[in-house]
Amino acid sequence: MNGILVAVFQGISAIILIYFFLINSLYLLFIILSIFGIFRYRNTTAFVSFKEIFQMPLVKPISIIAPVYNEGMNIVESTRSLLALEYPLFEVIVVNDGSTDDTLEKLTEAFDLKKSKRVFRKTLKTKPIKGIYVSPSNPKLTVVDKMNGKKADALNAGLNVSKYPLFCGIDGDSILEKDSLLKMARPFIEDPDKTVGAGGIIRLSNGCTVKSGQVVKVALPRNTLARFQILEYFRAFLGGRVGLSMLKSILIVSGAFGLFRKDVAIQCGGYRADTIGEDMDLVVRMRKHLHEKKIPYVFRFIPDPICWTEAPETLRSLARQRNRWHRGLVESLSHSSKMIFNPRYGITGMFAMPFYVIFEMLGPLIEVSGYAIFTVMVLLGEFNQPFALLFFLLAVVFGILLSLLAVLLEEYSARKYPRLRDIITIVAFGLLENVVYRQWLAVIRAMAFLDIARKKEDWGKMDRKGFTLERRQP
Amino acid sequence: MNTSLIIVTYSLLFLLSFSVLLFFYLIARRIVVQRQEELLQKRYTMIENEILEVVTSSETDLAERVANKYKKQSRVLTRVLVNYIEQIEGQAKEQLQKIFNIALKEKCLKDIHSRRQIKRLKATHLFVLFSDPLESHHIVKLLNDKPIVKLVAINALSRIPTSQTLTYIFQSFMKDSLGNARAYINIMYGLGDKIQNHVKNHLKESLSVEKLGLLIELVGAIPLRALYPDILPFADDPNKEIRIKVARALGHMRIPASVDILIRLAHDDTWEVCAQALKSLGKLGDEAALEVLSEGLFSPFWHVRFNGGHGLANLGAAGIARLQKIKQQKKDRYAADMAVMVLDEVIFAGEGQ
Repeated sequence: MNGILVAVFQGISAIILIYFFLINSLYLLFIILSIFGIFRYRNTTAFVSFKEIFQMPLVKPISIIAPVYNEGMNIVESTRSLLALEYPLFEVIVVNDGSTDDTLEKLTEAFDLKKSKRVFRKTLKTKPIKGIYVSPSNPKLTVVDKMNGKKADALNAGLNVSKYPLFCGIDGDSILEKDSLLKMARPFIEDPDKTVGAGGIIRLSNGCTVKSGQVVKVALPRNTLARFQILEYFRAFLGGRVGLSMLKSILIVSGAFGLFRKDVAIQCGGYRADTIGEDMDLVVRMRKHLHEKKIPYVFRFIPDPICWTEAPETLRSLARQRNRWHRGLVESLSHSSKMIFNPRYGITGMFAMPFYVIFEMLGPLIEVSGYAIFTVMVLLGEFNQPFALLFFLLAVVFGILLSLLAVLLEEYSARKYPRLRDIITIVAFGLLENVVYRQWLAVIRAMAFLDIARKKEDWGKMDRKGFTLERRQP
Repeated sequence: MNTSLIIVTYSLLFLLSFSVLLFFYLIARRIVVQRQEELLQKRYTMIENEILEVVTSSETDLAERVANKYKKQSRVLTRVLVNYIEQIEGQAKEQLQKIFNIALKEKCLKDIHSRRQIKRLKATHLFVLFSDPLESHHIVKLLNDKPIVKLVAINALSRIPTSQTLTYIFQSFMKDSLGNARAYINIMYGLGDKIQNHVKNHLKESLSVEKLGLLIELVGAIPLRALYPDILPFADDPNKEIRIKVARALGHMRIPASVDILIRLAHDDTWEVCAQALKSLGKLGDEAALEVLSEGLFSPFWHVRFNGGHGLANLGAAGIARLQKIKQQKKDRYAADMAVMVLDEVIFAGEGQ
């Protein structure tokens, strides 16, 4: 009996080894592709003035939709940053999704909001809207106050009220760099027929100083958890999404900063209100719809336009956020499961979807299983000590190499962190994350499957600190 | 030692040494880059001071001396010249051009033909800022280059709008794929009425619906009022997209005589054309459109109602009175709702002023 058990575990171990080799090879491939992608982007944009070529009245106007829920701490600063963006024609729609704090009051006070009798087309079904507010001092700003219906519902309400053919969904607590919309709109001007969506890079605002709605000083956060996340964001955006974009396999355009064609989003029924991973879900459904209609399309990831967002700084908030992201990923992939390995959906069906299912969705489960098998093998006395130890070290070093390559990508692209000490600190956290943090995250993400089985649907509360505002000299 | 152990050990050693090397490369690169930046900044300040002396001095050969002195430091010299050329006008600008011609022009012309894309882009950008219009033929070759270089070349040519360069731009627009067409239109827009004759000629040619639509839109956006008679025949085009573009262009051009054509378009079979025609009628602000704008409020289409309502508001007192009347009627709730919204916005806009 013991022998059979050992044989089974050894078989599983072999599968895990192959899985480890494949996942790391793919990540390495994405990073190599990203290096080419970033160089290509830099070469083609270094001497092209966006303002000269694209800031003309004939560019497509954009509706920025910012759903907010209890964002009273940052809302005025975030809204100011949105209103200060450089783009010929745009509107900002802040959707207050039934906040229980002073979000609406703060907005009303800061922008002198007045209730409007605006009527709109209810193209997408949403929870009832309590009022639409406009600002005499800022005609670009519209605030929609509605009953709570979660983020996707709020985005749909914003889509109903929006006027323009492109929309940019962003998180209410995010800060966009001034020229980010101009840069993001570039693919829609270069290839207006095919470009359906574009995503930009997200960076963490923790530790940075914000003045007049703009990040004026970039610095590392003091919080340890936020420091770990900086490197994760480098890997995900610079390493992962640029590489996936080069393979035309982007399935996630972050909800914190994404630009889409409104007509296509509405044809797909807008955001699905009963999902928590609404950003990925929309992209997957748009891809499905366009493949089925045989309409050529492209989603682009631009490594340059930057959106700053606040990362969770407590274990509880981070656990909730990652658990929610993973539940969203599983839900979106399950909802469009018929695309997986289906040649009818081209590269989406044959590569993007299988990649996300095998490596992103099942990854944490396999990682946790690996730890469990390791423990059982030790208990059974079948533990090949030198091999296991070396293999663990190999996994750690591979992880560190990927992190270093992600830092290299950051150095080649934006080089936002000014001090050499910052880079050394980020790399040091790349070493430290392999002990406990990485394993803890794998467990949290794996537990998302349990929550799905338990039909857990809540978003979880995020404790926000708010932006560090520049202090006036006495 | 078994095989798997050997493989893992060697892999580990390889990855470890590669990671260590990469780490040191990162650190060394950052140190070098920072040092370089400091050095460049020092040189920049030095060259900047001398250039400021050139543009303020009356010495005629000072520009030549500075150009020869810094010819070998082309990178920093280029940066200083680029930063100043767009902020300086008149005789001082000529001094900067003189420095460019002596120190950098030869290299710039060589780089326009470089095999490296980045060099071609950079050289074209410099050519736009400093070159003589008579030398535009150097850029024309780039019109057959990759899309991004082509767009930069078109942009460069638009900065030196001679009859010849405009012909190049329009020829390229005609030949190029539809994907780039909007970028061309954006560049052409900046040229204003200089392109009038070229647009007039191309409106007569056989164009794709999309390109024709963009040209009509351009006529309205600039606006090129002299081309009013040239776009009128397209109001009867069988393609609705063309009729929409005509209605939009007429709204931008604000020619009183176009009211009748817009009223006709407001009765078009397709709601998209109606909506655009009503929007343009609102912009014209002619009371002759009162009835057709009021009818728009009773349309089953939201956009038509929306544009009809706002069009009435633009007519002034007569339009407002009509909106109030529609607000009170009970026959069509949607028309009344739209009238309420428009009236509310009118009052609100008044408060904001």
